[in-house]
Amino acid sequence: MHKMRRAAVRAAIVGAAILGAGVAGTAQAQAPVKIGLVLPYSAGPFVAIANEITDSMALALEESGYMAAGRKIEILREDTTHKPDVAQAKAKKLVFEDKVDMLVGPVASAELTALFDFAHQAKVPLIIPNAGDNEVTGEKCSPWVLRTSFSNDQIVRDMGRWMAGKGFKKVALLAFDYKAGHQLMGGFKKPFTEAGGTIVTEQYPPFGRLSDFGPWLGKIRDAKPDAVFTFFAGPPATLLVQQFKEFGLDREMKLAGAGWLVSPLSLPSQGKAAAGVIGVLNYVPAIDNPVNKSYQERFQAKFKRTGSEFGAQGYDTGKLIHAALTQAGGKTDDKAALVKAMHAVRIEGTRGPLRIDPRTNNVVQDIYVFETELQGDKVGYKVLDRIRDVQDPPNGCKLGG
Amino acid sequence: MTPPASHSRHAVALLLAVLAVGYWLASGYYGKELVAETAITAILAMSLSLLVGQAGLVSLGHAAYFGIGAYALAGFGQKLGWPPALAMAAAVAVGALLALVVGWVAVRLAGVFFIMITLAVGEMIHAWFLKDRSFGGVGGMSGVPRLDLSGIGVDLADPAQFALFALAVALLVYLLLDRLVLSPFGQTLRAIHQNEERARALGCPVGRYKLAAFVVAGAVAALAGTLAAQRSAFVSPELMTWTLSGEILIVVIVGGSGSLLGVSAAAALWIGLRHQLSTMTDHWMLAMGVIFVVLVLVAGDGIDGALRGLWRRIAARRAARRAA
Repeated sequence: MHKMRRAAVRAAIVGAAILGAGVAGTAQAQAPVKIGLVLPYSAGPFVAIANEITDSMALALEESGYMAAGRKIEILREDTTHKPDVAQAKAKKLVFEDKVDMLVGPVASAELTALFDFAHQAKVPLIIPNAGDNEVTGEKCSPWVLRTSFSNDQIVRDMGRWMAGKGFKKVALLAFDYKAGHQLMGGFKKPFTEAGGTIVTEQYPPFGRLSDFGPWLGKIRDAKPDAVFTFFAGPPATLLVQQFKEFGLDREMKLAGAGWLVSPLSLPSQGKAAAGVIGVLNYVPAIDNPVNKSYQERFQAKFKRTGSEFGAQGYDTGKLIHAALTQAGGKTDDKAALVKAMHAVRIEGTRGPLRIDPRTNNVVQDIYVFETELQGDKVGYKVLDRIRDVQDPPNGCKLGG
Repeated sequence: MTPPASHSRHAVALLLAVLAVGYWLASGYYGKELVAETAITAILAMSLSLLVGQAGLVSLGHAAYFGIGAYALAGFGQKLGWPPALAMAAAVAVGALLALVVGWVAVRLAGVFFIMITLAVGEMIHAWFLKDRSFGGVGGMSGVPRLDLSGIGVDLADPAQFALFALAVALLVYLLLDRLVLSPFGQTLRAIHQNEERARALGCPVGRYKLAAFVVAGAVAALAGTLAAQRSAFVSPELMTWTLSGEILIVVIVGGSGSLLGVSAAAALWIGLRHQLSTMTDHWMLAMGVIFVVLVLVAGDGIDGALRGLWRRIAARRAARRAA
């Protein structure tokens, strides 16, 4: 019982401290710009992604000494514990209690649904650093929700034509049976068949725990495709890459997919089996531009590993926000003007030129086709092709712009 | 385990409510969210307490009824456009109905088989909503309507007011379940728990009693689910994961499984600790695990048992002093 009373006392102290801080804040001439990060830091499968986004965003903001247009930039971290209701409660706390000027988050789609509505109703800019659901910048779009990462459709839309053009005429599809799986496979399929390709088999194993791709790979072998196009990430991606090799399918067909299949986060556990995979993604560490080179140098010096696409998105998000704050002259009271500034800025990011499309609030970016190869005794990346300025059609979004 | 006399029980209930309201008054914005979450968790824990503590039925799929309540409210209230109050009542009925169907089979099984079937059904329902597109699949669905209490000047869209509302519902649930536990029905459940064979030999329809407890627990869990859905105006399959079932079971055990107030206090401890520890370290789950293991080791009968032991010792000392 006394535990609760102690909690109440503690809460009173914290409350007083917050009040005190608020008074002190108004006394200063220029209060800092506050950015609230709502990410799954402590639980669930996306902890590594949350940290990579946060660390890389910090790298971007360090470059300006956390200053934009004479105002200090302050980052506030809140942990969603991988629960949508917690994510929403934390977002509300950041906005109403800490008075942040914008939110950055989340990673998982369920958390996004919970945050999206809140941001839309509270009219607070929400910047999505990683989540691909097409609808968020399509039919469900909001003037307050911007995306600096990608839409699922944006990643794969041009890949069908590319593969058909390279002689992969018969392709098998394989992805988990859930929304993102269907969006990525569907987005690939239509342009691919229009370019003269044939889908020989299409399989959607149940989402979640999967310990063996055997039955699905067997069916793919029987269908004799030129390539398999897949979407998997994390442990299932590693399992697929390894089993594909073990079954000897790499001698009969090409393994391809949305590039997360061979993400820098997964390569260490995939080993040499990951060589020879074709991927398509908005980022690959081998991109040859000065921004990316400097990002990778600094990230690797600090964390002793290659920065992944999630990190690159975090870094670019930091750069975009910084540019927008500078553009807005450091004024953050008018949130609509802040969003306008986000629309107006154009930056050179790790992924090449970037801007936010005012018609959909989705990022416009280059998409890279790459192949993994053995470089010495390690697997590395080689960029095969670069599709410039990939922009989503409105897809039912009525933001106009 | 017979509950203590009603005046001391109600005094403790009042104390808990006062503490919660005190915290509500003292806390900033986020504290209100914690009060609401605690109230909802307490309702869910009390419903499971009826099963575990009274009837001796250890369910590892209780989150399914919680989630079904939330989804049913979303379905009736948003998809079919029913008035929120009706949708809420219907959602509780759906929870009861699901419990009736599952319980029909489950209560015939004992021990680990009962645990397994509740777990399996819970996972099936979770998997279904994960795949299903009409409710948004993995991403969940937003825009769940809230009860309109503007007639009495309450706006549930305001988190502070919602927290008080949830607290009031938790208190109401406590009073109802408390009556139920004390009634002949509750006594019969405890008799079955203590010696099922004897209860059967005395002519008690054991299965029917267990099923009734299962249905009540399902309905109350669904009620908690409707509150959770209204709190964030959002439902997702995260509401019905087996890990949530496990968490609630831990809360019930730590609270002292048969004590409604014990499990409510444990719910507050659980939510409070999670918040405190997660602001301190990203490895809060580890710390929490250690704390709860120690709690169960030190106080085998949970918070309820520990407090009663303390009370007995004080009473004994007082009696000794009076005698001397």
